[in-house]
Amino acid sequence: MSVKKIAIVGNPNVGKSVLFNALTKQYVVVSNYPGTTVEVSRGKMNLDGAEYEVIDTPGMYSLYSITEEERVTRDILIKERPEIIIHVVDAKNLERMLLLTLQLIEADLEVILVLNIMDEAVKEGVSIDVGLLEKELRIPVVPAISTAGKGIDNLKKKISEYDKKRL
Amino acid sequence: MIKRDYKGPIENSIEMAIEKIVNLLQYDYYLSPRSIAILLLQEDEGIRNLVKEKDAAGFSEIEQIVNNLKTYYKNPISYELAIERQNEVNDILKKAVRFAKDSISFRERLSRLLMNPVLGIPVFLLVSYFGLYKFVGQFGAGTVVDFIETNIFDKYITPFAENMVARFIPWQFLHELFIGEYGLITMAFRYAFAIILPITAFFFLFFSLIEDSGYLPRIAMLIDRTFKKIGLSGRAVIPMVLGFGCATMATMVTRILPTKRERIIATLLLALAVPCSAQLGVIMALLQHNPMALFIWAGVIGFIFLLVGYLTSKILPGDRPSFYMEIPPLRMPSLSNVIVKTYVRVKWYFKEIMPIFLWAGVLIWLGRLAKIFDFLVDILKGPLRAIGLPAEAAKAFLFGFFRRDYGAAGLYDLSAHGKLDGVQLVVSCVALTLFLPCIAQFLMNIKERGWKIGIGISVFVLFFSFSVAYVLNIVLKTLGVIL
Repeated sequence: MSVKKIAIVGNPNVGKSVLFNALTKQYVVVSNYPGTTVEVSRGKMNLDGAEYEVIDTPGMYSLYSITEEERVTRDILIKERPEIIIHVVDAKNLERMLLLTLQLIEADLEVILVLNIMDEAVKEGVSIDVGLLEKELRIPVVPAISTAGKGIDNLKKKISEYDKKRL
Repeated sequence: MIKRDYKGPIENSIEMAIEKIVNLLQYDYYLSPRSIAILLLQEDEGIRNLVKEKDAAGFSEIEQIVNNLKTYYKNPISYELAIERQNEVNDILKKAVRFAKDSISFRERLSRLLMNPVLGIPVFLLVSYFGLYKFVGQFGAGTVVDFIETNIFDKYITPFAENMVARFIPWQFLHELFIGEYGLITMAFRYAFAIILPITAFFFLFFSLIEDSGYLPRIAMLIDRTFKKIGLSGRAVIPMVLGFGCATMATMVTRILPTKRERIIATLLLALAVPCSAQLGVIMALLQHNPMALFIWAGVIGFIFLLVGYLTSKILPGDRPSFYMEIPPLRMPSLSNVIVKTYVRVKWYFKEIMPIFLWAGVLIWLGRLAKIFDFLVDILKGPLRAIGLPAEAAKAFLFGFFRRDYGAAGLYDLSAHGKLDGVQLVVSCVALTLFLPCIAQFLMNIKERGWKIGIGISVFVLFFSFSVAYVLNIVLKTLGVIL
């Protein structure tokens, strides 16, 4: 059985790599994407006996790619066709971040939205109705504070649910 | 809220174009056909190449759909789509997210103050004064430039070049191409490295600071309403602020404006009424002991800026600009980011500007060889007399166009020898400001806007600057103003 792939995508500086480390803990390989100076990390994750390859992609604002980083991320998506896309966003700044979420949904990808940095969002007085957001977007939404390890278990649960649903 | 300006029949809508492209796509791209179609409409180069390869059969038809659709929209399709998506996001957020109203942080309060029309403008003036005038103008363009010119160029490079040219080039007329008052090495290179390099480095440092701190987009918001009246949007604040550093560079940066109409207006205003740091330096030196004259000069230039912008926006066809810009949070800029940005920009600018400088050097050499300059100086004497200036000023004006410091020194000499009274001083400063700042900007206008518009703008500026000076001279004389 081939290993399923999960890609972590999102704007720069939203905590993608912290989340990646929390999910993969082991076997991490960092390499330059062929023909570029852009670094891509890959790691393994075991979940309920299934093995996944997790890819930490370079920062991207939009599927419409302008920077080299964005091109690399899109290339990874198109060539490696990951089964699940984890879109990590800064919960303080949903107004800007959800643009990419909508594009990923429009592209018919299996998206899980992670609302990261929830602690700061709460501090700034932003309150998010996660259930309603899930209903509006029609994808799983997971609030998280990746630096404190919060929300990781919930995310893992959603990943296995996604997988079971597809089988 | 921004409205889409397309109101034609449904067959020409974005949605129909997407549907037509989706029907032509056969290959499984992993991204949905709809998503691929949208990327094609946004003219994403990578996706275009991919589809060309995988769906070769339908590709030419797809290209036709994309090109056809563009003709129905004033703004780029990617812009239309971005606005639509943002509206969708806002709708979702309105339902699912609440922002606490009572907990306005200090940062938010500062942010509002900066965008407040009454309180924001004094802050803007203060930042401009210390950032542009003191830091970039006096320190960068003054102290540092002087140091590099006298301690590096005059001491080492110029004598070395003169020595080499004298030794290896036997023909006298070729000597002047490289060295002497207007030589490629002694002028073009010296200009680029001793004057433009430090000024742009300091300018970009200042620019990166206000950009990374989040202040720049707030200035854009602050003056958006005023700019709308002159056919520009708040976004144009970027080339306009850059124009105070170097108008040539600013003209290049008009590329960031979304419509051709805005770019033309911005190019015209930059050529006409935005004095670059070199011009500002001269004008400050000439008028510093005469605050009333300085005040009249600033008033006239400000008035012309708004008037010409307003009239152009009335005359030029096309819709008024809409403004769409993210307002990022205010924050302390990171020093390493600012330095890297400054470095990258200076490098980029240099690559673009260096060939223009060299061309200007060659043109001057040819012009002097063919005695065209003497001829032009004679022509200029007439209009200068008409605006009440002595004929000697002609040389200062013409050579100032090629070599800023020469023009400055020329006028300065005249004023030092008491040949210019207060009124003449103001009139010549107004004419000099409105007049095309330098040959590099003239070439850049042509490069960016094309032959027709580029030359059109320059000719207009030439006549307009003298007309304004003429009127100003008569008004001041009639009112009996003594400065």
